[in-house]
Amino acid sequence: MIDEITFEVLRHRLDAINDDAALVLARLSGSQLAAEARDLNTVIMAPDGRVVCCGRYVLAQVVSMHLVVRDILENYSDNPGFGPGDQFITNDPYIGTLHQPDVVVVAPIFVDGRLMGWCGSTAHQPDVGGPNPGGITYDARSIFDEAVPMPPVRIVEGGRLRRDIEREYLIRSRTAELNRLDLLGQVVANRSVVEQVTGLCAQYGAGTVGAVLDRLLERTEALLRERLRVLPDGRWRHVSYVEYRPYGSTAEEPETVYAVRLTMTKRDDDLELDFTDSDPQAPGAINAAYPALANFAIGSVLIYLCGGLPWVPGGVWPVVRILSREGTVVHARWPAGVAMSTAATCQAIRVSVNACVVRMLEVAEELAPLVMASCQAAGGGGGTVHGLRADGSAYATMTLDEISGGGGATWAGDGADSSGYTTSPGASCVNVEVNEAYLPLLYERRAELADTGGPGRHRGGVGTLHALTTHGTETPMTMMSFGQGLQHPLATGVCGGGFGGQSVIAVLPRADLPVMEGPPPEEGRLLPMPAARFPIGAGDVLVSVSQGGGGLGDPIEREPSAVLDDVRNGLVSPDGARRDYGVVIVGDLGEPAEPRVDEAATARLRDERRRDRIGRSPVPPAAGGRRGRRLSAALDLVPAAEGSQERDGAVACARCATALCAARENVYEHLVVRDESPAGRSPLGALYPGGERFVLRHFHCPGCAAQIDVQVCRAGDPVLAAVEVL
Amino acid sequence: MTAGGPRALIGVDTGGTFTDTVVTLADGRLGLGKALSTPGRVEQGVLDSIGRAAAGLGLTLPELLRHTVILTHGTTVGLNALLTGTGARVGLLTTAGFESTLPIAKANKTHGLDELDLTMPTRWRKPDPLVARSDIAGVSERVDVTGTVVRPLDEAQARTAIRRLAARGVDAVAVSLLWSPVNPEHERRLAALVAEEMPGVHVSSSAAIAPVVGEYERTSTVVLDAYVAPKVTAYLHALQERLREHGFGGVLMILRTGGGAEPVVQTLRAPVNTLRSGPVAGLAATAALAAKLGHANVIATDVGGTSFDVGLVIGGAMQRAGTPMVHRHALAIPVVEVESIGTGGGSLAWLDHGLGALRVGPRSAGAEPGPACYGRGGTRPTLTDASAVLGYLNRLGDVVELDVEAARAAIRTHIAEPLGISVVAAAEGIVRIATDQMRDLIRRTTIQRGHDPSAFALVAFGGAGPQYASWYSQGLGAVDVVIPDLAAELSAYGAVASDLNIGAERGLVPTPVPEAGTAVTAALAELTERIEAGLPGAVDDVVAASGRSRVLHRSVALRFYRQQRRIELPVSLPVGAVELARLEAEFRERYERIVGVGAASKETPVEVVSVRVDLMVAVPVPSPVVRAPGVAEPAGTRMAWFDGVGHRCAVYDWGRLPADLDINGPAFVESEQTTVVLPPLRTARMDTSGHLHLG
Repeated sequence: MIDEITFEVLRHRLDAINDDAALVLARLSGSQLAAEARDLNTVIMAPDGRVVCCGRYVLAQVVSMHLVVRDILENYSDNPGFGPGDQFITNDPYIGTLHQPDVVVVAPIFVDGRLMGWCGSTAHQPDVGGPNPGGITYDARSIFDEAVPMPPVRIVEGGRLRRDIEREYLIRSRTAELNRLDLLGQVVANRSVVEQVTGLCAQYGAGTVGAVLDRLLERTEALLRERLRVLPDGRWRHVSYVEYRPYGSTAEEPETVYAVRLTMTKRDDDLELDFTDSDPQAPGAINAAYPALANFAIGSVLIYLCGGLPWVPGGVWPVVRILSREGTVVHARWPAGVAMSTAATCQAIRVSVNACVVRMLEVAEELAPLVMASCQAAGGGGGTVHGLRADGSAYATMTLDEISGGGGATWAGDGADSSGYTTSPGASCVNVEVNEAYLPLLYERRAELADTGGPGRHRGGVGTLHALTTHGTETPMTMMSFGQGLQHPLATGVCGGGFGGQSVIAVLPRADLPVMEGPPPEEGRLLPMPAARFPIGAGDVLVSVSQGGGGLGDPIEREPSAVLDDVRNGLVSPDGARRDYGVVIVGDLGEPAEPRVDEAATARLRDERRRDRIGRSPVPPAAGGRRGRRLSAALDLVPAAEGSQERDGAVACARCATALCAARENVYEHLVVRDESPAGRSPLGALYPGGERFVLRHFHCPGCAAQIDVQVCRAGDPVLAAVEVL
Repeated sequence: MTAGGPRALIGVDTGGTFTDTVVTLADGRLGLGKALSTPGRVEQGVLDSIGRAAAGLGLTLPELLRHTVILTHGTTVGLNALLTGTGARVGLLTTAGFESTLPIAKANKTHGLDELDLTMPTRWRKPDPLVARSDIAGVSERVDVTGTVVRPLDEAQARTAIRRLAARGVDAVAVSLLWSPVNPEHERRLAALVAEEMPGVHVSSSAAIAPVVGEYERTSTVVLDAYVAPKVTAYLHALQERLREHGFGGVLMILRTGGGAEPVVQTLRAPVNTLRSGPVAGLAATAALAAKLGHANVIATDVGGTSFDVGLVIGGAMQRAGTPMVHRHALAIPVVEVESIGTGGGSLAWLDHGLGALRVGPRSAGAEPGPACYGRGGTRPTLTDASAVLGYLNRLGDVVELDVEAARAAIRTHIAEPLGISVVAAAEGIVRIATDQMRDLIRRTTIQRGHDPSAFALVAFGGAGPQYASWYSQGLGAVDVVIPDLAAELSAYGAVASDLNIGAERGLVPTPVPEAGTAVTAALAELTERIEAGLPGAVDDVVAASGRSRVLHRSVALRFYRQQRRIELPVSLPVGAVELARLEAEFRERYERIVGVGAASKETPVEVVSVRVDLMVAVPVPSPVVRAPGVAEPAGTRMAWFDGVGHRCAVYDWGRLPADLDINGPAFVESEQTTVVLPPLRTARMDTSGHLHLG
């Protein structure tokens, strides 16, 4: 048994060694993705590959890196074998990476001939080959139309980088030089981890270091189980949608919808994530292979459930069981294409886990500090651009403008405005001047966009509008957009909060930009869905909007003064205040008059809203605290009265105490359901073909009209049993 | 300046609790002064502190000030305004369409968060912007990457925007336009318009203060400048006034974030340059001291109340930070690199029951109530409490009496009893964990950046550095471990030892080296002209006082295409094909030296990203009075615990310790301000200059 003091010394040291590896990699990398967006991460693993130390960069790139190690252990132990000083490279999404651009390099750590553990890193490459610059083919028929992946290959042997394999790897890429620097960085980073861990073993004994790894895994598992045990058992459901135009479909028909369906069950101290009902796979691009599913599911469990616990992903694994069916969009069968998985299906996986975990956490008041609505998903601004500069040289890259969407609201406050993905905490968007220095383009705007934050008692963070043109070159720029979330919003609100604003991507004549930014016409602006590749010509402007984050709680309970602050700061418009929050702002926004809240009109409007929600006058809130245990933030599970028929008790509204149904019934069927078109809240009034298939489904208490939940679904879908008592 | 007395140099460092003064006289005598800092009337603490130093030398304050040729000062007035949120209400003028640059802050939501917050996603958020969104105004104009005006400045609209900010009641204005480093015309004009419309209001212009490519960092920097400007300038004016009243006629210089000191008129133009000067003074002193000891490479370590700081001196030079921040806000001015972790004397020790770990930091007990042993009601154990319990600390300056019982109770209740170990074992565990964290940081700043610590001397200073250096220096293989004379006042000494440095930098649109000749030549000429044109007469006074001449350093920063790591290299005129080829070759060689042979691929282009010119005047410090060899008896003994064993340890008085005498641990060497802890098997020896070397 290792004492608390030695354990802490070694724990700190291992974390420091791992974090250094990420810094070494970022410093060596020549690519903007690693250097600026920090699209990389590093890990130290146990001998069987379970991840123990995990960097704070792109979590989903590494939390399941044991899949790569297991593949090596299973397939290569004899042939080609592996030993001290060896390192393996792979970008195979069917084995362990998220998609082909993510290149993983892992190294075994041997001490005195014994396998002590592994270390490794992932770095997103600007290009890994395939028909299109940037590595993604939108309309792939299979993975053979994408970059063909490289299974684990022993690229470093006994400390020496194999020149032949390095060439074999680099020849695929249009950016061989940048990939080479990253490869070198990954190899050097691994080498430094191996050396330092070996030194640590010499000092403390390999047994002690191994015991620290084991204890981190064991304790993390125990702590997560402890957290789950305090929560009542239950089952939660969420559906999230991906739209995509598979190869062979015509531009006239709307994009195909792929549903990711999650049923999450918690029993005692086990968590089951069941994705088996998700839709069949697409031929290319958007699918997640199993490793991407595993990485995003476990990464999301870390983010949304494990706050304040040690972040040792290998300790989370034994607690979480992932069920899926091969051949579905979340678990593709070879040779389906998967290169765009991270921007598409993986985001739907993340949002689904987010929604279900928060519904579970809502049951325990003491876990409220962990509750967070969804952040932006991939969309507006996400994609690759390529073309020619004035001197004829080619460029192909991402602008990274998408990393500017909103974060989810929490009980502590509003979501972080324009703050990027929660799953990529260290990632940054890029200065306008940096993009203009390297690419022949000129930005017209980069501005936080009002009303894109999900409405709620706490507002979701706002997203950002970008507008740019080509500049200093006559050649049009070609874009391939990752554009999800155009037909409906993706960033879910929680506890009755609304969705964050959806994405926009549009190419317009430059002169139309002010019109686009002006008040939208009543019927909205119908825009074409982006084609697989589309040009931005000399007279055009590319407009993109990143999504807002989800809100938390009923928006008409937001403090009017908070709405006023948002109006002053340009984060909510006066119209948005009225529409989303029922707050009436009067007074001039310009100088010298100051906007203010018309209290009386606001009270009237909010009353009216409540009446509209349920079609009659609402009952007033009930006095007193919660009655029975929490079923969610807004619902109570009231114990059955003595001798009652309903042994398990009944569900009641926490706000007004109106009894809704028996505990075992689907409470959502007993709420007032109000379907609204998402178009009403779309940024810039943008509408895309196919959007008419979706509705924002609001659930209200039939008594007091409180907003209990908001979901995106297809019109006519049956009501989902989002919360089920077990 | 009156004839007769020896000429004096003064260094004054204002810290959170004390204001320290070091006076060096031409005859080698040293004067020390310490006074309580006086928040709200900071200049009073400065004068008190100088007065005490004067008294120690047998002089009155006016007598000393009349003989003082240079007074160099490190101030935290600006930093305090930032930390306490009491800076100016700033209005920001920026290119229309880009008003969100500052609030978006490149989506940096986790930069600068501590280890605990990093696993709590609901706490991931950017720092609140220093300018309210409603105080940001867009101005119609646009310049492109080449400096070409794409949209002319709309002066009428600009005036309206300025008047609107004025009506909102802003008391400082920051101006930051896209591509102003390449073409500053619009920014200059806007600054002039602000001066017309809002006379007397401080205006910070990004092209003047931080002319580097990258609008977020540049904007953040000018906003910081405007935010602290009213407080810093008011303070410096008051200080100048009071010093003059007391007879000071020399040059007042202020320590800079980028190293060195500048005449106060420069600071009044860009007060942002004081924001991170605190750690720089200690590092400057370390560099000066090490040079005298013959060490070109130094690891400077400073244990404070809430943090442990590490800075490197390589080949005699301080290192530049790559992406510096202050209080989570980005800075685009040269900043001396000092790495920090939240482990200091006040760091809380706590049991992480979940993990089964004893942890120290990152949260700290703060100044009130402070560690339990301060006896001000603190009940949670800190690193200082562990030292007190183990007998390592007998006093803390002359202000605080140690309450060892309170420290013992805190460790017993919170650590020892829950773990079922003795209080001594728990306290030793706390010291071990904390000092291991410190050593981890040293490793990361040296080994992980390709520097071998065995090529370095390690210098430990700050109030608590000498207490813990025996542990954290262990196993690094440093060639020498030095506790300098004045370890606790090293920042004030660093102020005296800082050279005059007026620098100017200009970011270039990244340009491949072979094509950069014209741009580099033009930028160098412009910067040189700007520095010389803006030179205050004070520079001549410093030249006269120091007896050294002014030197111009020209350098360029190079990097591989789009890479993060940049290397600054000196450049000689003329910048023709030969010089450019030499620069590129030297860059590749240096890169390989740092990163590894083979890393500098021939095919990857090298680009020039910025150009800088520094005007320097050395300020030599007189050598101290020599300490003679001899013998010494301990001033006393006290009980202390090492590895669970109680020892009766000799306690030596720092001031009376002769040179070249070997002290064997366990023992203590104490001065009024600091305690050196020597565990068993460690030795120490004083040199003739009064610096203690650990063996």
